[in-house]
Amino acid sequence: MKNNLNHSASPVTGRRYWRSLDELADTPEFKDWLHREFPVGASEMVEDGSSRRHFLKIMSASFALAGVATLGAGCRRPEEHLEPFGKQPENYTFGEAQYFATAMPTRTGAIPLVVKSYEGRPVKIEGNALFPGSNGSTDRYAQASILDLYDPDRARHFKHDGKEVTRDEALGFLAELSRKFAANSGEGLSFLAESSTSPSRARLQKIIAGKFPKSQWFTYDAVDSGIHQRAATLAFGQPVKPVFHFEKARVILSLDCDFLGGEDDANNHIRKFAAGRKAGEGMSRLYAVESLFTLTGASADHRLRVAAGEMLQVAGLVGDVGGAIAGENTKFISDWIAECKKDLAANPGNVLVVAGQRQPIEVHLLAYKLNSALGAIGKTITLVPVAENSGADLKQLDSGATDTLVILGGNPAYNLNWSAKARTVVRLGYYEDETADKAGWNFPATHYLETWGDAQTSDGTSVPIQPLIQPLFGGLMELEFLARLAGEAQAEAHEIVRATFGGADEAWKKFLFNGYLADSANAAVTAQFIAEKTPAVDRAAIVPSASSLEVVFYRDAKVDDGRYANNGWMQELPDPITKMTWDNAVLVSRKTAKELGVANGDLVEISLNGRSVKGPIWTQPGMADYSLGLALGYGRERAGRVGTGVGFNAYKIFNGKYIESGATIKRTGETYTLACTQHHWSMEGRPAVREANLEEFIKEPLFAQESFHGKEPPIVESLYPNPLDEAKKTALHQWGMTVDLNACVGCGTCVIACQSENNIPIVGKDQVIRGREMHWMRIDRYFTTDPKRKHNDSIFDPKSDANQADENQQFAEWIDDVQAVNQPMMCHHCETAPCESVCPVNATVHDQEGLNVMAYNRCIGTRYCSNNCPYKVRRFNYLDFNKRPLKDLNGASKFGVTYYPTTLTHSTGEGDKKEWDLLRWWKDSNSGMRTEDEWDLIKLSKNPDVTVRMRGVMEKCTYCTQRIEHAKISQKAKAGQTGNVRLMEAEGTVPKTACQQACPAGAIVFGDVSDPKSSVSGLKALPLNYSVLGDLLTRPRTTYLARVRNPNPAMPDYHAPFSTEEYESQSLTKKGNS
Amino acid sequence: MIFPKWTNWLPLALGLGAALAGGAVAAGVTIYLTPKYTRAGYQPVQPVPFSHQIHAGQLGLDCRYCHNGVEKSWFANIPGASTCMNCHNQVLKDDPRLKIVRDSAETGKPIAWVQIHKVPDYVYFNHEVHVRRGMGCDACHGRIDQMDEVRHDKSFSMSFCLDCHRDPAANIRPVDKVTTLGWQWSTNAAEAAQLQQTEGKKLVDHMRVESLQSCSACHR
Repeated sequence: MKNNLNHSASPVTGRRYWRSLDELADTPEFKDWLHREFPVGASEMVEDGSSRRHFLKIMSASFALAGVATLGAGCRRPEEHLEPFGKQPENYTFGEAQYFATAMPTRTGAIPLVVKSYEGRPVKIEGNALFPGSNGSTDRYAQASILDLYDPDRARHFKHDGKEVTRDEALGFLAELSRKFAANSGEGLSFLAESSTSPSRARLQKIIAGKFPKSQWFTYDAVDSGIHQRAATLAFGQPVKPVFHFEKARVILSLDCDFLGGEDDANNHIRKFAAGRKAGEGMSRLYAVESLFTLTGASADHRLRVAAGEMLQVAGLVGDVGGAIAGENTKFISDWIAECKKDLAANPGNVLVVAGQRQPIEVHLLAYKLNSALGAIGKTITLVPVAENSGADLKQLDSGATDTLVILGGNPAYNLNWSAKARTVVRLGYYEDETADKAGWNFPATHYLETWGDAQTSDGTSVPIQPLIQPLFGGLMELEFLARLAGEAQAEAHEIVRATFGGADEAWKKFLFNGYLADSANAAVTAQFIAEKTPAVDRAAIVPSASSLEVVFYRDAKVDDGRYANNGWMQELPDPITKMTWDNAVLVSRKTAKELGVANGDLVEISLNGRSVKGPIWTQPGMADYSLGLALGYGRERAGRVGTGVGFNAYKIFNGKYIESGATIKRTGETYTLACTQHHWSMEGRPAVREANLEEFIKEPLFAQESFHGKEPPIVESLYPNPLDEAKKTALHQWGMTVDLNACVGCGTCVIACQSENNIPIVGKDQVIRGREMHWMRIDRYFTTDPKRKHNDSIFDPKSDANQADENQQFAEWIDDVQAVNQPMMCHHCETAPCESVCPVNATVHDQEGLNVMAYNRCIGTRYCSNNCPYKVRRFNYLDFNKRPLKDLNGASKFGVTYYPTTLTHSTGEGDKKEWDLLRWWKDSNSGMRTEDEWDLIKLSKNPDVTVRMRGVMEKCTYCTQRIEHAKISQKAKAGQTGNVRLMEAEGTVPKTACQQACPAGAIVFGDVSDPKSSVSGLKALPLNYSVLGDLLTRPRTTYLARVRNPNPAMPDYHAPFSTEEYESQSLTKKGNS
Repeated sequence: MIFPKWTNWLPLALGLGAALAGGAVAAGVTIYLTPKYTRAGYQPVQPVPFSHQIHAGQLGLDCRYCHNGVEKSWFANIPGASTCMNCHNQVLKDDPRLKIVRDSAETGKPIAWVQIHKVPDYVYFNHEVHVRRGMGCDACHGRIDQMDEVRHDKSFSMSFCLDCHRDPAANIRPVDKVTTLGWQWSTNAAEAAQLQQTEGKKLVDHMRVESLQSCSACHR
């Protein structure tokens, strides 16, 4: 939607209606018109009342037409206003974007960002490319966080015992508390906050500790990422935390460490890991040992699935400290570990052993021992000093010594099993959530995009948190809250951060401009592993069984620990591995499901340590047996319109340990429908993703074309010349893209970035079940297996795997041991696009620079283009998704049928403000079916450069045409009267698509394929380059770089990539045949 | 024999009549309900009787003095009241016609100018690239410097835009002459037309004017 320029203080009337001719005659416009057109008649008209009627009778015909043509009513478009500033601010141009550097704080660090802002409101988050070592990327949480800023469910009022109070009253209460606790040295005062790296907050914490020496400060994290620091501190005897350098490691062993997915700081890990995965000699090798199927497992060259509780034994065996594997496959597992050990030993100094956040500290200590023995400390792991962790023991929280508990953010009532024992609970929170219900005083917090603050990234570099917009609802910044409580004279957050920074004004300005402080990273320290810290590995491995299951609690890939539950983009993002939306499930392996007698969708009750929770079963290929995977963060009771009641609450049986044993499952007999975006797991031997092992690639670099017989058929001279071939001769650029499957880990940041940039709406669970999710970009995730495990002897055999319905995949034995491959899929902008020739109204055409263009205003919704698209990347707006209210996202239900109300049948508003939507539409055609607060906020979040689509039009990836146009316009404006209008990558003028900019791995490269020196041309010339479904002669502009795996030939599970084996077993022309 | 004989011709007559009537309606809509008739000539009353004829014509102010955003962004801004006060804090200091402007500059309350030129929401027109690449203001907005009250001079239909995009040489002028309203290549009309052709083509070639005609140029 374009900028609505109606920012008037006084209401704009829009259409002008007049009820009678007399009324029309009275308007100044009419008098004016009359004056201009009929000077004689005008004077007659104005003076004598009786002659007015006579005059009007004569003029009646032209009068009617005048009404039509002159006065803005009738056929002419309604009057709109332009309202400029009264006092024009300097250096501000309407329509030009402004960029500010800030940072998004995470648990153990921060992500440096540059945020794009239009007319004083942030619309898009990007990474800060200036930050040393950064490639300008972010992670999916940062991309989605902007929607939280415009969340209609965020807290807007100061409340005391549920009743609204004024800001002054609330601040007065803080001042009162401050005085009270200053008098008694803080006795009875406790703070509960989440981890933060903010130096300003740490400074205020010290001030508070000084002013209120008897107060206690508790830190908690529902998903504890601080274990890396605690383990390192213990292992090396000094307060340090590890920084992992995956790019320097040749061999990486992950002990249940999902560093590409669920770990904090994953975007940095992805970037570094991808740097080490360039196909060729020197490529790194990843061994993963895990129970769940994670993104790290998907990228691993060798994956061992064992129960998470056995990780200590595995670590012990690798480290020669003891341990024994119980259960099945002991021979295979010990061979696996033995060869892995050999490989590690063969690469001293270039190895990296990492233990996962959910593993107990013993596993971490063993990992450090291994790293130390293999010479990794100082090379692939650097240790940076941290401040001593002086927080109080969380167990003291409910001890009764607390009279006043101050909660900063977090949501302890939901994810900490906390109950309010203190007399007074004061909460600074972003939502009115479960904790807000239990707090006596509620202060609305600001979003980080509205906040002054600071943080430190994982390596200690200071970054500022700079607001891009005034607090939308008058919230209170955390630093200000703490300063007021501490009774500080200077309580303004901006001043506090400035004071923490110190330094000269010029240095401060540079800090804010750059978004980081140069050379502020903590220098690494050298340290020796303390051998005495090696844990004993003698406790017998807890081997789970069907009657005593292991439970693994993991940080959800979308809602984190529950904080993004009300974020529609996150709820609708398909989980990177399960591709599930809007729900969490109880993940089990096929064998476990079989023994328990459950199938996908069965609602079961899990009992653990005397508590229980119900959830639906989902069979996960490649998972360890007798292990249950439960995602934290769902089942919220007070999340807001989007997140309440979505999924089930795993915290109900969670006790702080991420790996538990001894759980039991009971079938309830009910079923539950899960919304999944990719139901089919197998590629069925088709060469969508092409892989080879490193040896094969070195022997035959053109494997992606030759081995797969995917050599594109020759371009035969066509009877009908392609107009693009003519245009290529004169056009300035030809846009193309490559996606490197070696680098892509499937994290999904690109999907959210695309949604943010292109105003893509969410559709709700019901529509996702019907396959109508609107993501322009999706990541296809395939599970591949040894073809010998599949039953595919004949396609005529009804029992053959290829002929099974998707619901029966969960029972197929082949899903036990699989590999996973990821493939981002978006519009390929085919040169001979099948979609273009079938549009009856020519709404989709090809422009001279190779883009397949979509003109929304021309589309009439036949959907023939989507029908013809072989990649199925076109998305259709079946409903007006933007105008549907959030609480009716899943439709209404009548007589068991789900239907979606339209303005004809829907009313909006509460109580006496409830109004029929058709009436609301008549008064204001923009009103939709949403309440004003929701509507206004959603409008703010939209990118003004991109059309907001309505019902009935087709949409798809546009190669971010708005960014291309912007770049071209800037270049042309700069060129002026010269001819220097071409965008050149060498000059840095070529735009980046949103997905390219967001990708932490740098997997997506976009650019000018007609420029032989551009990156994308270089990549397309690589032997790994191939096009998906190229044999259909679509001539796509988006091509892929085939994936190269690097398995160890000595390992017992060494084989060609399963997808290649599947292809060769299906292929009619097998390798070796002609 | 219910129907008299003349009713034999009735179906034909009705059909013919319907076709003719339909054709007339279609023709009427096509001709009269196009922007050329519905938009061109729109001249709303503005809250302040600002005369471009005086300011841009008589006084010779450059368009960009007030509409300063036109070279930096897609949107040609209406100036804030503070721009008006640059002169009017001395000229016509207490004139009652400028009361709204003075109030706006002092209090910051915006003046509600009525928007005249507006393209539909699905069109993304960019002023910067046109103004910086040799499109005169009057090519689309007409002789504003002769208008006491601004009116919508051209039709602003898609064909209006395409007419120029298909033949930029017929409308382009040197970049520094963009705000000289009514500028011609020569005072002699015939020569001017001739030079527009030849010089225009030279400019288009030299500047590598793309003059995009594909949908992605304006529709995103």
